[in-house]
Amino acid sequence: MKIWAVASLCGALGASPLMGASAQAPLLTPRDSALHALNRLAYGPRPGEVDRVAAAGVMQWIDRQLSPDKIADAALAKRERQFKILEYDTGDLAAMYVDAQRERRERQREATAAPDSMTRKPDPGGPAEQRGRRFAGELQELAVVRATLSERQLYEVMVDFWINHFNVFLAKGADRFLTPSYIEATIRPRALGRFADLLVATAQSPAMLFYLDNWESVAPGSTPPQAMRLRARPLFGRAPQFGRPPLFDPGRDPMRADSQRQRALERMPKGINENYARELLELHTLGAEGGYTQQDVIDVARIFTGWSIRRPQQGGDFEFHEWAHDYGEKVLMGVTFPAGHGRDEGVRLLKLLANHPATMHHVSRQLCQRFVNDDPPDGCVDDAVAAWKRTEGDIREVLRAIFTSPEFWAAPNVRAKIKTPLEFVVSAARALSADPDTTPRLAQVVARLGEPLYLHVAPDGYPEREEAWVNSGALLDRMNAAVALAAGRLPGVAVSIDSIVPASADPARLIAAVDAQLLGGTMSENTKAVIRRQISDISDPLQACALAIGLAIGGPEFQRQ
Amino acid sequence: MTISRRVFVKSGGLALFSLGLDPLFLARAAFAVRPSAGPPDRRILVCLFQRGAVDGLNMIVPHGDPLYYRERPRIAVPQHDVVDLDGHFGLHPRLAALQPLWNNGSLAAIHAIGSPDSTRSHFDAQDYMESGTPGAKATPDGWLNRYCQHDREHQNTPFRAVAFGPQLPRILAGSAPSLAIDDLQAFGLRAPQPAARDRLTRAFQELYAGSATGLLSTSSQEAFEAVQMLKQVNPGQYQPANGADYPRGRFGTAMMQIAQLIKAEVGLQVAFADVTGWDTHVNQGSSAGQLAARLAEFGQALAAFAQDLGDKLRDVVVLTMSEFGRTVRENGNSGTDHGHATAMLVLGGPVNGGKMLGKWPGLDPANRFEGRDVAVTTDFRDLFAEILARHLGATDLATIFPGFSPDPARFPGAIRI
Repeated sequence: MKIWAVASLCGALGASPLMGASAQAPLLTPRDSALHALNRLAYGPRPGEVDRVAAAGVMQWIDRQLSPDKIADAALAKRERQFKILEYDTGDLAAMYVDAQRERRERQREATAAPDSMTRKPDPGGPAEQRGRRFAGELQELAVVRATLSERQLYEVMVDFWINHFNVFLAKGADRFLTPSYIEATIRPRALGRFADLLVATAQSPAMLFYLDNWESVAPGSTPPQAMRLRARPLFGRAPQFGRPPLFDPGRDPMRADSQRQRALERMPKGINENYARELLELHTLGAEGGYTQQDVIDVARIFTGWSIRRPQQGGDFEFHEWAHDYGEKVLMGVTFPAGHGRDEGVRLLKLLANHPATMHHVSRQLCQRFVNDDPPDGCVDDAVAAWKRTEGDIREVLRAIFTSPEFWAAPNVRAKIKTPLEFVVSAARALSADPDTTPRLAQVVARLGEPLYLHVAPDGYPEREEAWVNSGALLDRMNAAVALAAGRLPGVAVSIDSIVPASADPARLIAAVDAQLLGGTMSENTKAVIRRQISDISDPLQACALAIGLAIGGPEFQRQ
Repeated sequence: MTISRRVFVKSGGLALFSLGLDPLFLARAAFAVRPSAGPPDRRILVCLFQRGAVDGLNMIVPHGDPLYYRERPRIAVPQHDVVDLDGHFGLHPRLAALQPLWNNGSLAAIHAIGSPDSTRSHFDAQDYMESGTPGAKATPDGWLNRYCQHDREHQNTPFRAVAFGPQLPRILAGSAPSLAIDDLQAFGLRAPQPAARDRLTRAFQELYAGSATGLLSTSSQEAFEAVQMLKQVNPGQYQPANGADYPRGRFGTAMMQIAQLIKAEVGLQVAFADVTGWDTHVNQGSSAGQLAARLAEFGQALAAFAQDLGDKLRDVVVLTMSEFGRTVRENGNSGTDHGHATAMLVLGGPVNGGKMLGKWPGLDPANRFEGRDVAVTTDFRDLFAEILARHLGATDLATIFPGFSPDPARFPGAIRI
């Protein structure tokens, strides 16, 4: 394909992308292309950044963004050190989770003693429960802070992409303590690596095993060692301990001990759980049109029997349970997995899936949906798939193919996407040179706009399409958030209006500066006229400035990227 | 305003379509061009989700079954406390406020209802009950939203589908427009004084009217229409009618605001609210205690809602749902664990009330699901489909519940025909 050749040549030479785009669209000026790249590969420009990227050459900037290791990020590193959540490993967090659960049980027990009242006051819970909530808020804020402050913008965009592609739900039981290491140790180190490595890492991550129930998927008829011991115990008595902590504390009441034992036996998993297998094929790899059958789902589930986790008291790490694995033969889409294999056949399957043509197409299409258009044109998807084939799923090269594809730069795709709530809030914070602290204020704004981070229940992650985000209530919320942010009414989020325009500026200069710094010069005549009318009778220059910025951020142009 | 949108879709919309722009955007735009003139479609459905899995057996008590008392020595509701309904079942005493509604035929209860999927995970079961596709996780939208997509004849109003809460729930997620309102009084632009608020509203309205395109344009028009309508409703000044006394707290407030929107005749057709606190694993109590307190708030809010609406209840159906029920046998902590079937309530003028619906499988261990839980004899989709069809007039139920063939022969008979 000729256009592809031209574009990739441009990329290789670090030249302007405009030649490639000229085949089908009017030329983008260097500032336009810098703004477009900053809107898609980054969370929007900071003051002055459009000019800096345009001057240095947008392709050089993209090249640098594709090698985040070479970009210094000292300011972010300094802020990250203030986040306590990063000081704890999964073992620490698991222990805190166990404490919080104990507190909750005790509180529920006490609740019976209390008389029932008409109005239940929300109980903040004990110190461990409160700490759990505080850490959840910190975790969400950390994502917003990184997106706002990091110089490695494309890297942060890709972390968010994979977090949604391999979605987990922070509020589902053990995922409360498993999610931090999922983000730090599973997703972040592999966000620009090979897709196969990312897939294997998520498959054996405790957070995913718990979220999609694979941890309790066992070969039918298999018996866990604990159950053998439970059954072997004499009635009304204690069996000798075998080193492991007991599944429950029988306490003093023998009736209660037996009932608890009965419950523990009932709770033992009894067969395969297809949940992870199905989502692995449908969402993580092949896609719903990937050509697999229900029998394939069952055989994938059989392959992953025994992929489980340790109990919270033991740190909740990944653990392969031989006793739970189905060692029979499986066949997936015509490929035989011979009998007698254990954990290794799961890894073999994941590597097979990672570079299956359906996977290449499915994931490439999603990437193009994120970076190019809600309905991605075939051309850029084809370019991405070609790069995937050539490099065996090197994410960096797949991205490079997308950014050098003519469709990425084509006029119909510029400003064609609506920002997600995270993109809206972070781009506003960046435009205002905001410096958020560790309190969860900005994350709360993102949540209020409909995208509470790590809290998307369904395994498909937050949607990339505009109709999921644009509705009347959500738009009013965006307007309110914009006005509050510009007026400096969000505690914990220091904004610097001075970096945009000195408060002493006259209305014409003020509007010109807001247009240039916030909207990259794309402000419509109507917006300019409305802002001019609104600030005309405001005597306090600081107030006029805040109102102009609030209207610009809450207005229609800023919703697009 | 309606005319300008129609012109937009006629001239601009089709042109955009030929450029290959998002057809779903056009679907959303098509919602906006329905004429807003004509008689309002008055039938209203209110869905309430008891999140956490309510213990159906202590909500609608099978007091005529000795097995109930044998399996729950510490938490069963004693027979002399139960508010008898039909000689076999009765209301929990803290739901006594609902007895008059049962007696006048506007309240029915259905037992042994639930999902064909066996999951005992709150997360999965709620997901299935809201997507309307048990067992299928990847369904992108909720069944209430699919109803709104399917029935486009309803009058054009931003308040057609409203969820009371900070976020749009899964059940209303999808391409048909729907509102999430945390608090009616706070809906719209926020400013310290009314004058500043009006000015800010006008400024944003001008911004969007002049510069917005596509979905941003239609949605913002809906938003400012909604703000305008609410201003006339004046939610801050609301006084419940007929001496209705809503319980304080989130749920009572949500029910009161739903009643307010119904009475304001702003075109509300589908409302949704959550009520939480049903996951009673430990010390759930019997006639008094933890569950009793939740039921008292629940029952009083429903009773106040019915009283407040008065005559208007004739067009309204309230449907309660919960992701699953709880174990027949009490556990070692005087609570109950995750079970299977549960009970749901249907309340309102069009309801075939004063009777128990569905088929009761009994508590005999041989008839239980997996030997421990109340078995499901009514698929929840049969009840939901009946209400959509017979109350709201939905015709194409198969697209609202994909993979399921709703059959009037299986409808539990909750709505008078």
